[in-house]
Amino acid sequence: MTYFRAVDPFPLESERYTKLHEFYTRLGQGRLVTTRCAGCGRVAWPPRGFCPECRSDRFEWADLPGEGTVAAFTVQETGLPAGFDGPRVFAVVDVAGHRVFSVLREVAPEKVAIGQRVRLTPMRVDDDPEGKPRWLPAFSPV
Amino acid sequence: MRDVAIIGVGSTPFGKLERQGIVEMAVAACRDALAESRVPREKIQALYLGNFAGERLASQGSLAAIVVNRLGMSGIPATKTEGACASGGIAFRLGVLGIALGLYDFVLVGGVEKMSSAPTAEVTAALATAGDETAEMRTGLTFPGAFGIIMREHMARYGTTRAQIGLVSVKNHGLGAANPKAQFRKPVTLDEVVSSRLVADPIRLFDCPPISDGAAAAVLCPLEMARDFTAKPVRVLGTGHATGPATLWESADVTTMPATVRASREAYAAAKIAPADVDVVELHDCFTIAEIIATEDLGLFPKGKGGAAVEEGWTALGGKVAVNPSGGLISKGHPVGATGVAQIYELVRQLRDEAANQVRGAEIALAHNLGGTGVVSTVTVLGRA
Ligand SMILES: [Zn+2]
Repeated sequence: MTYFRAVDPFPLESERYTKLHEFYTRLGQGRLVTTRCAGCGRVAWPPRGFCPECRSDRFEWADLPGEGTVAAFTVQETGLPAGFDGPRVFAVVDVAGHRVFSVLREVAPEKVAIGQRVRLTPMRVDDDPEGKPRWLPAFSPV
Repeated sequence: MRDVAIIGVGSTPFGKLERQGIVEMAVAACRDALAESRVPREKIQALYLGNFAGERLASQGSLAAIVVNRLGMSGIPATKTEGACASGGIAFRLGVLGIALGLYDFVLVGGVEKMSSAPTAEVTAALATAGDETAEMRTGLTFPGAFGIIMREHMARYGTTRAQIGLVSVKNHGLGAANPKAQFRKPVTLDEVVSSRLVADPIRLFDCPPISDGAAAAVLCPLEMARDFTAKPVRVLGTGHATGPATLWESADVTTMPATVRASREAYAAAKIAPADVDVVELHDCFTIAEIIATEDLGLFPKGKGGAAVEEGWTALGGKVAVNPSGGLISKGHPVGATGVAQIYELVRQLRDEAANQVRGAEIALAHNLGGTGVVSTVTVLGRA
């Protein structure tokens, strides 16, 4: 027996379910953005629709640099979820002081190093249930 | 606040338990704990049951209510607690608080998980929901990957060696071999650990726990009533429960888990003890590196010295502080919702001098349960009554 799964497996990336979906829309345009609180001006990472400092839920989008440095990484060979092939390089990339969790692409796993300069190369993943493209943050060597 | 005692414990074996569903396992562990406590079922006033993924992996919601129903105790309040792999630790603590605050005199606590019934990819996906949906796990990262990043960082920052980390697996598999409740009953060598299949560099297969089924339970009452039921009550000296970052990118330093630090300090303060007073520990070795980090965060060893402590034999049975004499998650198994209560089961047996790998003369015991990459932690300090 198979079950029909009606829910969007990633509702927090959907225009329909979150006001933060624009992060992904802009990522699809090759831009890494985050939220700046309209109440107190604090820049959040990752994007947040509510500011715990001033309790405002108003925000604007702020561009982040398209380059960063590898702060930590692993090469995962097995134990990946269905639909993912190993080896896959996961990294925490330092972008203007923000720790951006992402995938490294177009890199030989044995050549990855802490401190390495990388640039944003967003990764297209499975479309949403309505057939619109979806993107995730990814970086490649400069 | 009233002093609280544990007067009975029960546990299924851990492993791939065929012909046992999620409700049946929980009922079996509860039945054994109730029988040992000699508390008649009509005296039990509440159940707290830890479970993480019962809806998804076993297609069963309303779990706590269904378990009391099957135990013939329908009517009492029954609550399922969820905090990823710390679900059981939270259930135990809520039970303790219910008695300490005078709400109840007799409480049943338990934890259960059924994992072997689902395909590995589904188990992986279910466990990954403990991460923040919008970030890490969406990329295909799973817990071995997250702890791979953490292990590499600990090695780089503190000079912790691959051999030191591998010795955690050697120690825990060696201890698990003597535990009749353990899933793996076979020792491994350091060579086998460091040459086992690469999972998420530098984490290898023998750095990881298995996929497990199992359940554990305990009966609690006020300390002043405990001797009416058992000659060997175990006293709850202190508990702590804290939260931390949900993701690696929120941590300035991934080699420490703030939730463990905070929960343990809360438990030590309540118990009026120092880390050096602890004789035996069951801690959350969801990976070998997690055991080293936990021994540091619990204050058993200075930050960065956890690897050397293993190498020196300080965490072995007969060392300064015995860590995971049950075999830990790595060898005993890790049915995630059951783990926190199973640690209590093991430590109660230690404090009654009944454990498979008995720590001789153990007076103070500590349990540490962790969810995700440190999003939640519970710590319990137990002593002889
Ligand atoms: Zn603000």
